[in-house]
Amino acid sequence: MNAPSASAMVQLQGVTKRYGEFEALHSIDLSIAKGEFVTLLGPSGSGKSTLLNLIAGMIAPSSGRIIIDGRDATTLPTNRRGLGMVFQNYALMPHMTVFENIAFPLQVRGLPKDEIRRKVTGVLDLIQLGHVAGRKPRELSGGQQQRVSLARCIVYNPALILMDEPLGALDKKLREQMQLEIKRLHAELGITMLYVTHDQDEALTMSDRIVLMNGGRIEQQGQPDTLYFKPETVFSAEFIGSSNLIPGEIAAGEGGTVTLKTALGAFPVPAPDRPVRPGDRGVLLVRPENMMLTDRADPTSVAGRIEDSILLGGVVRHFVRCADGSMVIVQELNQPGRAGARRDETVRAGWTMDHARLLPPPPNTSLPAG
Amino acid sequence: MTSSSTASGASGLGPWSAIVLLAPLTVLMFAILLYPLGLTLWTSLYDGQLSLRAYAELASSTLFLKVLRNTFEIAITGTLVSLVFGYPVAMHLAAQPPRRRTACLVMVMLPFWTSILVKSFALVAVFGNQGLVNQLLGFLSGGQINLPMMFNRVGVVLGMINFLLPFMILSILGSLLALDRRLILAAETMGAGPLRIFWKVILPLSMPGVVAGVLINVTLSIGMYITPALLGGRQDMMVANLVDFYTRQTLDWTAASATAVALLAISGLLVAMLGRVRGGLSGGAA
Repeated sequence: MNAPSASAMVQLQGVTKRYGEFEALHSIDLSIAKGEFVTLLGPSGSGKSTLLNLIAGMIAPSSGRIIIDGRDATTLPTNRRGLGMVFQNYALMPHMTVFENIAFPLQVRGLPKDEIRRKVTGVLDLIQLGHVAGRKPRELSGGQQQRVSLARCIVYNPALILMDEPLGALDKKLREQMQLEIKRLHAELGITMLYVTHDQDEALTMSDRIVLMNGGRIEQQGQPDTLYFKPETVFSAEFIGSSNLIPGEIAAGEGGTVTLKTALGAFPVPAPDRPVRPGDRGVLLVRPENMMLTDRADPTSVAGRIEDSILLGGVVRHFVRCADGSMVIVQELNQPGRAGARRDETVRAGWTMDHARLLPPPPNTSLPAG
Repeated sequence: MTSSSTASGASGLGPWSAIVLLAPLTVLMFAILLYPLGLTLWTSLYDGQLSLRAYAELASSTLFLKVLRNTFEIAITGTLVSLVFGYPVAMHLAAQPPRRRTACLVMVMLPFWTSILVKSFALVAVFGNQGLVNQLLGFLSGGQINLPMMFNRVGVVLGMINFLLPFMILSILGSLLALDRRLILAAETMGAGPLRIFWKVILPLSMPGVVAGVLINVTLSIGMYITPALLGGRQDMMVANLVDFYTRQTLDWTAASATAVALLAISGLLVAMLGRVRGGLSGGAA
């Protein structure tokens, strides 16, 4: 057991949660620094919400320790953990006005009336909703309700704010606005935030650090660009951004380069940090935006036929069908007349070796015979 | 074509379906409810000639006013006791997983499946002077304590809540189940303790159920007849018992009818209030 660290707001030590036979979380170790914005990202069922509820104290861990702000909070009831929480459905009290909703946590803390009035007015100004103070939550739009719910959290200045998919119920445009607003509040107030989402764009936009969860374990964690550019597993690569994955077998390695033999040819790849041996299975990753259509038969290119090209606003995506039937996606910046113009053309999709990454094979894949 | 035939009724009987489907009950209700009710109203107004004399006598009758006050006292006491006992039960039921809640609800509904007469005598066996409770108290106190709990106001209220509780519990349970659990979680994360959460979140949000339960209870208990007759004392006569008294003891049918009509008017007023509260609820929840 590690000693509680002074700079950590939250420390999880070997936290496991079992429901009968099912293990929702497998011995999670995680530390969140004071003032950090950490996102728990993962598909549904990956354990991210379970982890958040454990920290909030709504469920108890089967084993392990939860330390909040240097204090062992493993068995502390929710109302004594000093947290704030923002819910997806806002969870505003329907029988209270906006003002009363925001005043509620201050009344809990026994603040004098005029101080409550001053603080609530201040935070309503911060979220620019002073004009709706007297209204009931149901009279507000979804975006306004979520801002009130945020205000209700920041008004009592908790050391840690937990957010459970808070923007899940909003439409895309509003969601992007709110992402920036939450980011601004985080920067201004310096409150530690733990944010749960299944939306990779949201995680990339907002976080200091992303904790990617998969099947009750932490798959990978790091800064957004680390997760994007240096995924360590096929799961990470596929969950964040889109990816071209070509499986194969390591043939030889010399210096900083190894060669991966695949159904589409043998490709040189920068040697990964972990040790690899000839004969190991591996997966080659190249992001679509690092691929380009080319005529030259480089060693880092595959031949194929453009099956379709689709326009995504600023970029265009070419779907290239390779000889073995697999598909490679090439994403280029859009130029007039680009999409569709080259359909059915035989091309090569190439990349520079630095943009390729050798990943370990995903678990549970059987080796092909021979 | 399809839509118009659907609009005229699912039965396929065409425009006559409403009349055909409602006629049997209409005839029955007319025969057993409206006709006797009209007769009662007529009797209360016609005493050799048409007059409001019976009502004037009622308004100045100390007996009627005393019984009316009794009735309200008993109804309100019974309702409050039912509320105090029923609310915790409803809270407990709301906290159960659905399957166990269903099983518990069967127990709540059990009194409905027993005749009120049987229940009244059973209550005497339990709470009477020689009943189980007093025997136990006597045994524990060495014969010092014997609580008079039957054939008085306590007996009436005990008998009444037996009948009233399910209505109160179901009504409050409905409101509690509609309450979003995340509101309670939100209040907890904000630091609120269980008592504050109850007073500031759970109770206000379950008020519609409480109000509905109280009105149903008052309306039901105001017309109680068998329970006060069997379990009450001389001082616990309610309006329905007074009707019985005029009908069978003094044979003053005019006074009996006027009393019955007055009781019906009071109950009707309460039902109307109940309707308004419910209507206001569905309007307010939107």
